[in-house]
Amino acid sequence: MRFFLSRVAQALVIVSGITVSVFFMLRFTAGDPARIRGNLFSTNEVLDEYRRQFGTDRTVFQQFATFLNGVIHGSLGNSFRYQEPVTGLVLPALRHTMLLGMTALLISLSLAILLGTISARNPRGLVARASGVLAIFGQSAPLFWIGLLLISLFSVNLGWLPSGGFTSWKNLILPAVTLAMNILPSEMRVLSASVKAELDEDYVRTAHAFGLARWRVYFVHVLRNACLPLLTVVGNDMGMLLGGAIVAEVVFNFPGIGTLALVGLNARDYPLLQGVTIVAACTFVLVNLLVDLLYTVINPRVRLGGAT
Amino acid sequence: MKEKYRGRGLLIFSSILMGLIVVVGLLGPFLLVDPLDQDLISAMKPPFSAHHILGTDPLGRDILSRIASGARVSLIVSILGMIGSLTVGTIMGLISGARNRWLAWASDRLIDVQMAFPYILLAIVIVSATTASLPILILLMVLAGWASAARVIRSIVLSERPKDYVKAAELVGADQKRVLIRYIGPTLVPAIFTIAPLQASAMIVMEATLSFLGLGVQPPTPSWGGMLLEGKVYLSEAWWLTTIPGIAIAITCAALIGIGEGLSVKLRGDRRRRVDPSQSETVNAKSNSTKLNSGGDKS
Repeated sequence: MRFFLSRVAQALVIVSGITVSVFFMLRFTAGDPARIRGNLFSTNEVLDEYRRQFGTDRTVFQQFATFLNGVIHGSLGNSFRYQEPVTGLVLPALRHTMLLGMTALLISLSLAILLGTISARNPRGLVARASGVLAIFGQSAPLFWIGLLLISLFSVNLGWLPSGGFTSWKNLILPAVTLAMNILPSEMRVLSASVKAELDEDYVRTAHAFGLARWRVYFVHVLRNACLPLLTVVGNDMGMLLGGAIVAEVVFNFPGIGTLALVGLNARDYPLLQGVTIVAACTFVLVNLLVDLLYTVINPRVRLGGAT
Repeated sequence: MKEKYRGRGLLIFSSILMGLIVVVGLLGPFLLVDPLDQDLISAMKPPFSAHHILGTDPLGRDILSRIASGARVSLIVSILGMIGSLTVGTIMGLISGARNRWLAWASDRLIDVQMAFPYILLAIVIVSATTASLPILILLMVLAGWASAARVIRSIVLSERPKDYVKAAELVGADQKRVLIRYIGPTLVPAIFTIAPLQASAMIVMEATLSFLGLGVQPPTPSWGGMLLEGKVYLSEAWWLTTIPGIAIAITCAALIGIGEGLSVKLRGDRRRRVDPSQSETVNAKSNSTKLNSGGDKS
């Protein structure tokens, strides 16, 4: 319980730190959103009107007070560009991003377990060599390039899958596979190594001696023990996964956090960018918290500081 | 013995490959046409056409010379980013391995935040707060890369801590700074050399990604990521615009990863300790799980 509370407190500190620094970083250095909203020849009166509307005519600290007050009441302000509440824009986008990330995680984990186990069993076999090549490719080719290759193969040449947008589950396949390729190599390498270590254990020999089916030994008994290192890797890769999701969204024009953040960037839409960052930070911290807690549930000997 | 031999082969092969890429990047401007030279008559030529062995882009610029010129930009930026992130990472890793609990706690949390928070989002925020330029790009890459280096360094520092020579130094009365820098510091050197090429390869991917998103190297300066961004529009008409820069990135990264792996195999042969960044963090978990089994978990 103490462990749990201290992790939650840490998470809160992290989220508020990110929120405050993003707020001030954007206010102090970025350009004037009124100039971007108005057209090139807008008069000063029009610009001032925009500034009043956006609230950027007041001092930074007044703006910060308004912002904090809004956060307490569950509002992240209005987007300059869309003239809508930021929460209404960010939350659906977050749902899409999470859907994409989780699908990719599922794909990569199932591939890693399947290929990793087979290549651990037979390190000189065809599958092992093929997954080695796949791992090198996934590690050295940038995610967005894999995405472009998949688009040009499956959308442009074969015409099987849509190249972008998000209208049906088919839109999810290419970005999810692209993202999965990005995190697959580390997962596969770790799983294969830990399965290899497990295979020398007595219980494996016992299980074989009892005449259990091969797949049962590998995918039930060995896997359960080999999964702990895998979980560590997944936890470590969470930032990479969600960061990769942002890139994949841009490549596939998928309506998630990443595309929204780029819109916010181009329109100098502080409330939107701020909202995206805060919501994303909360999500990432939460996901990491969950991974940590899950880890203690599975392996109770890992307690605060006990891992290192 | 055989593994050591294989490691050496990999190291030599990857180093030669990397050397070739560097040579192409360096000699490009003397041997090839200007990468900014537009020639609309010979626009959109596919690879292997006359005068343009890798084809041309929609403005008729020669792709080979753009690749060579992009190599120079990518390599310089990535090496600077690598040096910066390794420096920051080593310092932070040493601090988080220090005995001062508050300092260690703070830098641990900072590493966690940096690892958990996607650097692309950070890059978007920073670029919108400033403007995209080369110094900002290098800063972004240092920010994106230091945490993973810091983790590796921290795990080594923590594993060196309980050793006798460190205890001896502390008994003699060496202060923390001296213990960390003079005693533990030298044991980090092989690890730093092993992660340097891997870090450089990650930096090349980052540079390409940022330029692809329009946050990194700005046109008309050719960069591999920027070429991919420009080629994305012509995906259905001109496959070579996106394929060739991608291959350049993949080969460079594969060569760097090969150097890293080769070095780590060689060092493992010398020191019998693995200092591969993707695995060092799992060493704990693995030893835990084996303990779990010997502890009687028979599934």
